[in-house]
Amino acid sequence: MSLIHTENLTKIYGSGETAVTALDHVSIKVKEGEFVAVMGPSGCGKSTLLHLLGGLDSSSAGKVVIDGTSLAEMKDDDLTKLRRQKIGFVFQFYNLIPVLTAVENASLPITLDGVRPAEARKRAAEWLERFELGERLNNRPDQLSGGQQQRVAVARALVAEPALILADEPTGNLDTRSGDEIASLLREVTKKYGRTVIMVTHDPRIAAYADRIIFLKDGKVIDETILEKKNGKNADLLAGKMKEIGD
Amino acid sequence: MKLQLTLAWRYLKGRKLRSFLTTLAVVFGVLIIFGMNIILPTMLAAFNANMLAAAGAVDATISHQTGGSFPPEVADGLADIDGVRAITISLNRVVNLPTDFVDDNPAITDRISAVTLIGIDPETARSLRIYQIQEGGRFLEPGDTAVTVISQSLADAYRVGLGDRIALPSVSGVVDLTVVGILPTRTVPGNEEVLVTLPQAQTMTGQEGQITAIDIALDTTDETERAAILAEIESAAGDSYTIGSLQPGSEMFASLQMGQIAMNMFGVLALFMGGFIIFNTFRTVVAERRRDIGMLRAIGANRRTITAIVLIEGLLQGVIGSGIGLVLGYWMGAGIVRLAEAPMNIFLNIRMGNPVVSPTLIATSLLLGVGVTVLAGLIPAQNAARVTPMDALRPTVAEMETRHRMGAGAIAGIVMIAVAIMALLTGETSFIALGSLLFLIGLILVAPLLLHPIAYAFGKLTALLYARQGIGDLAHGNLTRQPSRVVITASATMIGLAIVVALGGMTSSLSDMLNSTVRSSLGSDYLLIPPSISVWSGDMGSGPELTERLQAIDGVGDISTLRFAVTAINGQSISLIGINPETYPRVSGLDFLEGDETAYEALAEGRAMIVNGSFTIALAGLEVGDTVELATPGGDQTYTIVAVGSDLLNAKVVTAYISQANLAADFNRTDDVFIQFNLLPGVELESVDSQIKEVAANYPQFTVLAGRGYIDQMLELVKVLFLGMYFLLAFLALPSLIAMVNTLAISVIERTREIGMLRAVGATRKQVRRMVVAEALLLAAVGTAFGILAGMYLGYVIVKAMGVMFPISYMFPLGGILGGIAIGLIFGALAAIIPARQAARLQVVEALRYE
Repeated sequence: MSLIHTENLTKIYGSGETAVTALDHVSIKVKEGEFVAVMGPSGCGKSTLLHLLGGLDSSSAGKVVIDGTSLAEMKDDDLTKLRRQKIGFVFQFYNLIPVLTAVENASLPITLDGVRPAEARKRAAEWLERFELGERLNNRPDQLSGGQQQRVAVARALVAEPALILADEPTGNLDTRSGDEIASLLREVTKKYGRTVIMVTHDPRIAAYADRIIFLKDGKVIDETILEKKNGKNADLLAGKMKEIGD
Repeated sequence: MKLQLTLAWRYLKGRKLRSFLTTLAVVFGVLIIFGMNIILPTMLAAFNANMLAAAGAVDATISHQTGGSFPPEVADGLADIDGVRAITISLNRVVNLPTDFVDDNPAITDRISAVTLIGIDPETARSLRIYQIQEGGRFLEPGDTAVTVISQSLADAYRVGLGDRIALPSVSGVVDLTVVGILPTRTVPGNEEVLVTLPQAQTMTGQEGQITAIDIALDTTDETERAAILAEIESAAGDSYTIGSLQPGSEMFASLQMGQIAMNMFGVLALFMGGFIIFNTFRTVVAERRRDIGMLRAIGANRRTITAIVLIEGLLQGVIGSGIGLVLGYWMGAGIVRLAEAPMNIFLNIRMGNPVVSPTLIATSLLLGVGVTVLAGLIPAQNAARVTPMDALRPTVAEMETRHRMGAGAIAGIVMIAVAIMALLTGETSFIALGSLLFLIGLILVAPLLLHPIAYAFGKLTALLYARQGIGDLAHGNLTRQPSRVVITASATMIGLAIVVALGGMTSSLSDMLNSTVRSSLGSDYLLIPPSISVWSGDMGSGPELTERLQAIDGVGDISTLRFAVTAINGQSISLIGINPETYPRVSGLDFLEGDETAYEALAEGRAMIVNGSFTIALAGLEVGDTVELATPGGDQTYTIVAVGSDLLNAKVVTAYISQANLAADFNRTDDVFIQFNLLPGVELESVDSQIKEVAANYPQFTVLAGRGYIDQMLELVKVLFLGMYFLLAFLALPSLIAMVNTLAISVIERTREIGMLRAVGATRKQVRRMVVAEALLLAAVGTAFGILAGMYLGYVIVKAMGVMFPISYMFPLGGILGGIAIGLIFGALAAIIPARQAARLQVVEALRYE
């Protein structure tokens, strides 16, 4: 059974002559526990797709269904609640609150959900320890490296135990090594902790960590590839594909 | 809630300088409001302390509603009321003493500047109060003349003992009193008392057959019974009499209240500016944290949570700022009370106690401070809630406003300004006052429209200054890019400078008026001045003998005197000044607002009075031609208002002028409290001077001054006063500086990346610094231009409003305008220093990476 699926999802920015179609009748399905990468050249609509999946933006036509509920019919407060409880986000620029410590940042979603601070802290600390940040619980973001900050962000995405993690270019701001770390961390999230991850990236090496790749171009799904083995060759394969569709 | 609080607190801590500056804005407003409102109650408490001290063990004191004297017959019959244990009558009179009168030593600061002369009935007085006469002395006895009982402390001040004599001024010259008894050292606040027999006091004050108080003791302590007895006493005494303490301070209380209202206005303006500054800061804060807020929304914070975070931040600043404001305000209030102690003691004979702080005042100040902060944060907080989760994901693009077209706001602004100008043309004070508000708001609304041309013009100027570098243009571009932010800062500057220019206009008009009034009111050749020239009730006057002897001197021309009494119209206390309608206009004169010199003739002919501007304000609705009932010791008397006019000495107190004949007939007052006279033409000052001083020597309550000298002294005083005003103005301009530093600092922070780019493409530190300074000067120029416009309007309104009280005409405030321009530009440059250094110091790489 699919955790999340879209039906003819369409997003048009602007109107009249200046209208731009960012997504054009996209229908995809993602199963529980799957690690899906969305790839495509700049402006193909991959980020827009992610925003619509997360209920951050509203669609022009079509719908997004999570766990049998269509997002289009939800009010802002309900959407907020859905994001808080069912979806975790990882952004390119980490987006940690600069004035809060690592553990405070990681515990934000459940604190917002009304979990008692001591309990929230405990749960956030557990995730940070799993991600080898046990020593840095009380450091502020500016005292952490980029890779460490992104790991805090992943911990934050997982702390509320959501079924779905949406990652928008999670390695875009990192060096190669840290990027690999984060990508394998996300893989671990699906395999070890059973979460579903949808990740947008344009980096074939990072996408190669996923189970399945969805290729987007000009707002349309043009190809899908299921990766059997996670090795270096996959990356070459994907790079070739990207070149093919005109990156 | 805890999360919101943590976030708010951390954010505030993260930007210490900015938090400090914005909080300072709140501190400032609360400080002024709180501090200034401490002063009046403290002075009031000092009055009451004096009164309480006088009341002592007495259950009730009956006095005339005017506080003036009345015939002793009123007491008849009161003693027969059931429940009255004892009753005694007395004549109380505060006597201001001339400088160095008691100790005769100019080197020692006068501790005793006034005493209360109390004439008592020795037999009945002792049935109400206990007088602990020290060994060797005795108490007063009926029939005593020229003897007194005083306290040990007063005896020490006079350096006398039993059997020695002390001198006191009286209406018929200095009187020596032999000390027959000494009471213990006085421990309660208030004036030292000089106890004499009732007839002695009546002679000394020229109030024969008059008393001022009836003291009553009851024979029960049961509250219900006491209330019933007091009610019976009250009805027996009649409407004109009140039970309770005397109200001698009312005339000066009124002028203090005026001062308090003015200061409160300043405080409210300061808070208003504080609100502006906070609004501006929070707007920027929200813009800066768009990404943080968007992320919070993305991970599940709802709109209410976001609003709460911003509001709590405002609340924190409001609470902290108000708290500090309260503390500093208390210090300021207490400091002013301390400073005022000496002059209050000398001029008004009040001894100050500790600063009085009422819980209501604390609550109001806190509420105002916190309320303004939270209100100012409301709109930015709601804007913050409107940030979508998408904002967390978008790359930051510098906000670019392109609102050059006419908005509804600008049209409303133009309409408001037009209405304000029309109101100005009507000449109606209330319309004009309303117009000033419209004018200010209108200016703020049209500011975005005017901003472009003004910034352009000044931009050209700075571009000329920094020729070849193109920096002026850049600064101009930076400002016009975000008109709303600039307008807010410029508005804060505008309000600050408007106050400076308005008050500048007011002060120059006022000083012009004062100079001319000083000359007309005090322009006589000789002046005999009592210790207090603004509050007459404590001045011991002189009997007719003094003026008769002065008149007898060869070469002395017309003599004009002022006599004083208090009355009331419908319970509103009023000062009465008795003038001689014949000589007064020749020696001195009133400035008439309505009516003319013929009014003096009306005073001579019957019960007519001229009232001053304060009177027409206090008793609004009364006009020339109306009749009013004045409360007199012998019942109400009908007087007709014949003109509105004022002299310098009585301008700020609610005053009516009547003839001295009427003052004597209706109020039993014949003593002169202020004397001025001219010499006959051709008479040289030197030839009569010694004779005049000799005659006056027996009346030490008066200081003899040759008129011109006094005028110079007064003008000097006026100058000092105005210096204080200008100091206050500078103090008020301070919040504008804070606002400007704030906006500039914020604009630098906002454009960190841009500045990094400028540096990367080759701008030197110096160039960046200059760009920021040019921007600051532009901002200042815009604010200053608006401020001067608004200030001129406001100043006109204030002068117009004061014209109701004084004959005053509007003077173009050239000084104020020049001062305003100077302050505006200097502040602009000052405000640029911190941000300019910050901008220049930025590391290129860091700046480019800045999120």
